[in-house]
Amino acid sequence: MKNTIRQVFHSPKFVGGFVIFVAILLTMIIYPLFNPGNPLEQIGVGTFAKPGTYFSLYDATKAKTDTFRLPEADENRLAASLSAEDRVAMVEYFTAMGIDISELDTEDTDTLLQMWEDNYDPSVRPKGMTGAKVNYYKRLNNSLQDLKGGDTLVVAEEVDGELVESKKISTTDYVRTGAVANVKTLPLGTDNFGRDVLKELVSATGTSIGIGLLAGVVATLIGLTFGLLAGYVGGFLDDFIMFITNIFTVIPGFVLLILISYSIGQEQRGAAVVATVIGLTGWTWTARSVRSQVISLRNRDHVNLSKLSGHSLVRIILTDILPYIASYVVMAFILQVSSGILAEAQLSLLGLGPRTTEVPTLGLMMNWAMLYSAHTNGSWWAYFPVILVITLISFSLNLMNTGLDQVFNPTLRD
Amino acid sequence: MKKLIALALAVMMVLSLSVTAFAAEGDVVLPREETLYFAGQQWGTVNSWNPIGTNQNNAMAIAAGAGQREIMFETLYMWNVLDGKLYGLLANDDYAWNDDMTALTFTIKDAAKWNDGSDVTAADVIRTFDIGVEIANGTGSSYGPFIESIEGEGKSVTINAKLNDAGQPVNPLKILDFLELTVIANAAWIDQVVEACGGDATAILNDDGLNDAGELEVPYTGPYTRYFDDDQKVVFIRDDNYWGQDASMWGKLPVPKYIAHTIYADNPAGEVALKEGEVDVCQQFIGNVQNLWLEDGLPISTYYEEAPYGVCLTMPTAWYNMNMPVIAENPALRKAIAMAVDYDSIIANAMTNQSPSFADVPRSLMNPTDGEQALYDHDAVADLQWAGNDIDGANALLDEAGLVDTDGDGIREYNGEKISLNAVCPNGWTDWQASMEQVAAAGAKIGVEITTLYPEYSIYQTVFVDPDQTEYAIFMWSPDASTPSNPWTRVNQFMGMDYVGIQNNWSGNWGQYVNEEADALIKQIPLTTDEAELKDLYTQLTEIYLTEVPSFSLMYRPSVFHAVNESVWTNYPYEGQTYTMADGSEVLVPPADCTDGFGIAALYNLELVG
Repeated sequence: MKNTIRQVFHSPKFVGGFVIFVAILLTMIIYPLFNPGNPLEQIGVGTFAKPGTYFSLYDATKAKTDTFRLPEADENRLAASLSAEDRVAMVEYFTAMGIDISELDTEDTDTLLQMWEDNYDPSVRPKGMTGAKVNYYKRLNNSLQDLKGGDTLVVAEEVDGELVESKKISTTDYVRTGAVANVKTLPLGTDNFGRDVLKELVSATGTSIGIGLLAGVVATLIGLTFGLLAGYVGGFLDDFIMFITNIFTVIPGFVLLILISYSIGQEQRGAAVVATVIGLTGWTWTARSVRSQVISLRNRDHVNLSKLSGHSLVRIILTDILPYIASYVVMAFILQVSSGILAEAQLSLLGLGPRTTEVPTLGLMMNWAMLYSAHTNGSWWAYFPVILVITLISFSLNLMNTGLDQVFNPTLRD
Repeated sequence: MKKLIALALAVMMVLSLSVTAFAAEGDVVLPREETLYFAGQQWGTVNSWNPIGTNQNNAMAIAAGAGQREIMFETLYMWNVLDGKLYGLLANDDYAWNDDMTALTFTIKDAAKWNDGSDVTAADVIRTFDIGVEIANGTGSSYGPFIESIEGEGKSVTINAKLNDAGQPVNPLKILDFLELTVIANAAWIDQVVEACGGDATAILNDDGLNDAGELEVPYTGPYTRYFDDDQKVVFIRDDNYWGQDASMWGKLPVPKYIAHTIYADNPAGEVALKEGEVDVCQQFIGNVQNLWLEDGLPISTYYEEAPYGVCLTMPTAWYNMNMPVIAENPALRKAIAMAVDYDSIIANAMTNQSPSFADVPRSLMNPTDGEQALYDHDAVADLQWAGNDIDGANALLDEAGLVDTDGDGIREYNGEKISLNAVCPNGWTDWQASMEQVAAAGAKIGVEITTLYPEYSIYQTVFVDPDQTEYAIFMWSPDASTPSNPWTRVNQFMGMDYVGIQNNWSGNWGQYVNEEADALIKQIPLTTDEAELKDLYTQLTEIYLTEVPSFSLMYRPSVFHAVNESVWTNYPYEGQTYTMADGSEVLVPPADCTDGFGIAALYNLELVG
C-alpha cells in the first residue's frame, strides 16, 4: 500500500492534478476565514459592479487629508472630463453649427473651452444630428461645466433643513485609502443580484465539488454493485443486469437527467437531490467495465480456491475480486466526480439545477449571469471565473486520473 | 477519375446551394436606407392576417402595446399615452356624447379609403362590431357587454351604449376604448369570409386572410402591407396609394419604404442586433441600457436621456391570494410584507433603475404619468403610503396584530400554525424572479417564511387564472397600462368584484379580493364626469387599497420599450418632440415603438442620418 502511494506520487501528471485540486480545496477552506459571512448576501444595490476597490465617499470626506502637489494632477483631471475624442467631437459640433474653425487649435484647451462656452446652445438641435449625439453634447457640456469651477469644493451638511458648510475640499487634498472608515475590495466585482462574486464563487466551488462527490459515490456504488454481481454470478442475473444497463445506455444520459430533474419539480430540487439524480443516471459505463474485469478474474485459481473453501459470495467478492479492481474503481470514481460537476453546471444552465437562493453552485452562477446577459454586456467577471474554476477542477481530476492510469495500467507503464 | 467525379460533384453541390441561397435572399434584399428594422415584437412565424380572427401571432400588424398598432390595419382614433387624448385616424376629431352619455356620434373622414380605393363607411364599423359579437372574438367579448348597437349611414356613425337597469350606460369609458383599440375590417370582405366558412364561428376566427395561392386577400386601410413573411422575418412594404397622404390626415407618406422584423431567437439576440445597427427600433428590456452609449459609445438613445429612459405606464404587481385564510383574515400581514420589501433593490436590480422609485412616485392605484397622478389627493393618503424596506414598522404592525412567534423558531404563528407562504412567478421571467427573491428576503426579516417558486409559464398561466386556486400565495401579474378607460380599468382590476369567481380569469382581481364598499365606488366612476367628484372617488379608493393591501406593486414599467439605434435613421421620438398636425397644432409624439396609437406619427418624422 505504502509502495503504491509512493509510486502514485512519483507520477508527475498525478502530482500536477493533485496540487491544483488541493489548492482549490485550500482556497475553499481558507478564504471564508478572511471574508466570513453569507455568500448570498446582496451587498450591492444594482447589477454587475466592476471589480475593484470601493471606498465610501461619505467617509472619505471625513477622513484626514494630506496635501500633495502632483505635477500630472491637473492634466489627469482635464483628461477625465475632456478626452481627445471629445475635442474632435467639439469640432464636429462647431462644423454642424456652421462656425468658422479655421483658426482653432484643438490642443489649445482654453480657447477651445471659450469657444464652446460661446457657441454651445443646449436648446438647438442641429438638423440631421442624431439624438444620441445631442445627448452626448449635453453630457460633455455638463462635465465641462465642472471644469469651470474653482479649485475648491464645499461639502455641506443638512441641519434642520439648512445647509451648513462642514468642509472644503481642495484639488490638492488626498486621502489614504487606509484612513477611510469603509473600504470594500471586490476582486471579482458583484453579480446580477449585487453579491460579491469571489465570495460566492468560493462557496459555489465547495457546493459543486460536494455535488460531484455525492454524484460520484452514488454512480460508483451502483455501477460497482451491478458490475460485480453481473460479472461474478453470471447467468440469468448477468443477463438481467446487462438488460437494464443497456436500456440506460441507449437512452442518452443527459436527456434522462433533464427529464428526471424536470419531473421532480423545483421545490424538491435541493443540491443533494440534484447530485443523487446525476449519480442515478451516470452509473452504466462503470457497471459495464467492472463486469468485464470481473469476468476475467472469476476463473482465477485463488477465486476457485475460495469457492472450494466454501466462502460466501460476499466474502469472495470483497476479498478476492474487489482488491484486484480497486485501482480501476478509484480512477472511475474520479472521472465520475468530474462529470458530476459538469452535469450540474449543464443542468443549472438550463434552469433545471438546484433551487436558487439557498446555496450557490457554479452552474447557478452561470445561469444567472446568462439570464442577465452578462456575456453581451461585457460583465466578464460574472461568468468567466466560474468557467475557469470548472475547467480547473475537471482538468485536475482528469490529470490525476491519467497519472493513476499510468501507474496501474501495465501497458501504459514507462 | 473517381476523384475527379467526386470533386465535380462537390463543386456542383456547393454551387447549387449558394445559388439557391442567393435566390432565397434575392426575394427580400431590402435597401438599408429605405428600411426600418424592428426587434422585440414578432416571435415565431406569422399565423394569420385576419383582423377579426384570433391567434394571428402577427405582432407587427395586429396587436396592441401603447395603443393599437396602426401600420396595416387602422382604428377610428389613435391613443396618445403622453397627453391622454384621442386623435382621429379613420374618423374625424368630432366624437361627441349626447347629454346622458347613452350615445356617441362621430363621422368618418371623407378621405379614408380601403387599399382598393373604396370608401371606408359606417357599414364597415357596424359589420366589424356585429361580427365580433357573433363569433365572440376579442372585439366582441371586450365591448359586447358595453355597446348595445352601432348604427349609421354613409360616413356618420352612432354608437349606442348598453344601459343598466337604472337606464344609465353600463360604462362609457369602454366605448372610448373601442374607438382606439378596435381595428376596422372591411364589411364586404367579412361577408365573403362568413360565406366561405358557412357561418361557422371557429372557421371564421381561424381564417388566415389569404387566398388559396397564399396571397393577401383581406383589405386594409393602413400605410403598409404584407411584402414577405416566413419563419425568419416579416417585411411590410409601403402602399404609396395610402389614403392618409390626404391633407386631412398626415399630408404625406411615412418615411421608410419597408418595415422589417427579423424573428430573433431570444432577447439577447435582438439586443446584439441592435448594438450592431442591424435593428433600428428595439422593443425589448435592455438592462443598464445607458451603458450602450456611456461605455460602448454606440449611437443608441432612448426617449428620456436619463433614468427611467422610458415612459412607465404600468406596475407589475404581487397579488395576495385571498383564498388562503391566513392572508384573507390578516390585513396586517398583507401590509407588513408589502412594507418590508426593499423596492429600491428591485428597481435597481430587476429594472436597472428604468423605473421611478416609490419615493419619487408614491404608491397608489395610478401609473406615474402626470395625468393619472393628478386624479387623487396626494396629501389625504400620504400617511398610508410606504416606500419599502421598513422592517421595524412591519414588525410592529405584526406584533400589534397579535401575529407573534410563540414557539421561538423565528417564524410567527397564526392560529398555532407557522405562517409559511410562497412567492411565485413564471420561470425565466428574470426581472420578476429577482422581485420575488426580494419579497422572500423581506419575509425572512419579519419572521414570515416565504419561499420562491418558479413554475414554467405553461403551468403558471393555468393556475393563477383559476379563481379557486390555493397553490400560489403571492404571485405576479401586471394590470392594464394606458387606454382611455384607465385608470378606471386598472382600479377595477385591483379591487373590482366583476372578476370574482370567474373561471379562466384573465381580466383582473386575480387575488379574488372582495370589498363591497370599494366595488360600489368603482361602479360610480364611469358615470361621473365632474372632476372634483372623480378625484374624491379615486382618493377614497386609494385609501381603501393602501389600508387593505389586496396586492402591492413592485415597480413601474413601460408597456413598450423604446431603444433606437441611429446609425441609419434619426429623429425618433425624444422628450418634447412634436408632430405638426394638419391644422398646424403641435402634438407630443409618444415613444410607442413608432407603431402604436399616435406613436405612429414617428414614422412621418423620421430622417436619414447625414
